[in-house]
Amino acid sequence: MRETTELIKENNYKRDLLNPENEYVYENMLLYIRTDLRIDEHAAEELLMDLLDHLLEAQENGKKAEDLFGNSPRAYADELIANLPSQKRRNVFWFTASTITGLVGWFAITYGIANVLISFFTTWDNDIAVGSILLILLSICLVGSIGIKLFFTIIRSSVFKHKNQQWKVYLKAGLYGMAGVGFILGITFLFDGIGPVIHVEWWVLLLIGIMVLAISKSFSRLSSDQ
Amino acid sequence: MALRSQLLKGVLDACVMAVVEEQPVYGYELSQKLQGIGLPDISDGTIYPVLLRLQKNGFIRGEMRPSASGPNRKYYFLTDEGKAELEQIASEWIQIAQPVSQLLKRGREDERNN
Repeated sequence: MRETTELIKENNYKRDLLNPENEYVYENMLLYIRTDLRIDEHAAEELLMDLLDHLLEAQENGKKAEDLFGNSPRAYADELIANLPSQKRRNVFWFTASTITGLVGWFAITYGIANVLISFFTTWDNDIAVGSILLILLSICLVGSIGIKLFFTIIRSSVFKHKNQQWKVYLKAGLYGMAGVGFILGITFLFDGIGPVIHVEWWVLLLIGIMVLAISKSFSRLSSDQ
Repeated sequence: MALRSQLLKGVLDACVMAVVEEQPVYGYELSQKLQGIGLPDISDGTIYPVLLRLQKNGFIRGEMRPSASGPNRKYYFLTDEGKAELEQIASEWIQIAQPVSQLLKRGREDERNN
């Protein structure tokens, strides 16, 4: 069986062979199917490869994407999705675990580097209030997970629409991004200095961050194991 | 032809399995063969929801093979469960096809007789 990542790579270079009109319709289809988190990723990629092969062969014979997907590509995509196997619960678990540890890892690295940069301008004591940091992490995870879900919903509502409607997508995503950052900053200011204070050097934070990212990567591998 | 009704879905499932039983095919080939046997308005895309459904039920399975034109394609094979299912649908169909089409084309026969 072909690996999911191999299928995605193959899909990327084969898509270049489509003519612009067919590529536009196909990419909408691809986006709509890939952003559906309920379906099994490997089965979805196999289907997308089948459809791409079919479209390429149809294109050689002078057919268009509409001949394959019909006049209502969105309804057709929904019909395909309804017949795809659903994502295994185990995979959903590891995907979530990987996303959260990924956020924590990047947070630790960013925090560590920020400490170094700030220490150039002012004295920075490297003291961390354990309670506050946990609250901040929790709010990052919250904003992150709602963000992923919302982001996918926004994308899915925008595909198969006219290109000139796309600015709304960026506006919505931007507004959420600002609200999310605002929320996290608010938590940081409101709940400062809670819990025992520990002293952590910036390079320790950096090391922790890298380690957590490595763990996140292995979780991500588990989530796509068949 | 909007294949919404259960009846047409079942018939199309059987047609796809019958083609696959005869010879393993890949998606594009399958749609060409179905159009070739004279089913009206089978569009290219019709087969993919059917193929997914049949795979989910374990009636067919896909396997990568080099195609006649060169590149690898996902060829579909009928499984043992698929053979049994096809056998059953075919025998049921043969029992009802003759009397039902006789009954339903009644009006047109009358026109011809007049």
